[in-house]
Amino acid sequence: MVKHHPTTDFITDFAAGTLPVAQAACISAHLNYCDSCRRSAEQLQTIGGVLMEQLAPVTVSESVLESVLARLDEPAPLSFAQKPARQEAFDLPGLLTRIINGDFTQLTWKRITRALSVSSLQTGDSAYEFALYKIAAGGRIPEHDHGGSEMTLVLKGGFSDDRGTYHPGDFIFRQANETHMPVTIDGDECICLAVLDAPLKFTSWQYRWLNPFLQLRAG
Amino acid sequence: MVEEKTQSEQNTKSWSVPTGRRTDEWSECLVLVGKSNDRAAFTRFFRHFGPLIKAFALAGSSLSQAHADEIVQEVMLKVWQKADGFNPEKAAASTWIYTIARNCRTDMFRRLQKFDTPLAADDLSIELEEEEPFAVLHSRRGADRVRELMSQLPPDQAQILAKVYMEGKSHSEAAAELDLPLGTVKSRVRLAIQKLQVQMERL
Repeated sequence: MVKHHPTTDFITDFAAGTLPVAQAACISAHLNYCDSCRRSAEQLQTIGGVLMEQLAPVTVSESVLESVLARLDEPAPLSFAQKPARQEAFDLPGLLTRIINGDFTQLTWKRITRALSVSSLQTGDSAYEFALYKIAAGGRIPEHDHGGSEMTLVLKGGFSDDRGTYHPGDFIFRQANETHMPVTIDGDECICLAVLDAPLKFTSWQYRWLNPFLQLRAG
Repeated sequence: MVEEKTQSEQNTKSWSVPTGRRTDEWSECLVLVGKSNDRAAFTRFFRHFGPLIKAFALAGSSLSQAHADEIVQEVMLKVWQKADGFNPEKAAASTWIYTIARNCRTDMFRRLQKFDTPLAADDLSIELEEEEPFAVLHSRRGADRVRELMSQLPPDQAQILAKVYMEGKSHSEAAAELDLPLGTVKSRVRLAIQKLQVQMERL
């Protein structure tokens, strides 16, 4: 059962199509797990439909209609639209499968600390890093600060920090200067999707020397 | 006398939900297209929504007429291809076509900006499950209710919603264009959404 959700602000921007692609992908992945946010998004889209109906129509020439009619027999392209995830199984949201172009076993992980590895994925979004973070079973991410904003979506396992405990489908948003120290739970490794617009900054002296290596890998 | 009264009642009724009947008409149209590849129904649908999609494509953008026409074509082709998945019990025709138009416009903007992403806007769309009674209850009536409540929104809130939904502006872009503080834009969007009663209670 998903307990941590994006704010209505985020879902509205998602419904209106105004979020940067990396953030939109993270919200979409959350909707895979969450019935109530999915309904919310659907409801917020009705606003777009009603506003569109009320626009002043702009004339479309007959030739446009004719060329559409001439193309109706073309085969439809493949659709990758997502189906809601089944609760029981560990089910990677469809769009991640699409970005990874396979499954977790095909990813290359870069080790940051003994417990933490990162795999950057490409969304084409030059302002945001879109990456998977893997915390080994029993491990933790050293206390860190965010230079900017961080969206996190738990995909596998779970973690807790000073504000809560998070399981698959849970969505967490942190802004600059909010420090936390995630620790895995249930003796399982934890994999999260993270969308950042600035690199993490470790705050404890043992790890601070790593900061220069934590460049934002956006793109 | 009796006749007059009936007449005025009808007027009031059709005034309070001005496009209610039309919405049903477009849903029926989509069902015909989906079930029996009805080209005449598709053409009617095109003549109604084509000019609205074009207006949407041009809203708040410097898109050329040719690109706007291209969006109309792409959206209408998708309408034809996806109509069999349209369920009038689940969504209003206007909501359904809005999401297609929004995605096509996003993809067009990205193509024009040479923004290379493996994700098409459609990939981020979520399909509602077949068995969602709640969605059935609210999505279909939702559009009628939103339409009614929309007419009661204060102009400043309606204006922000149009910026966000029709022009596809982020909150900060809208703030810059309207010369308003970001916080004002955000709170107007929130207020408008509260008034339109589309915010869901957490289960």
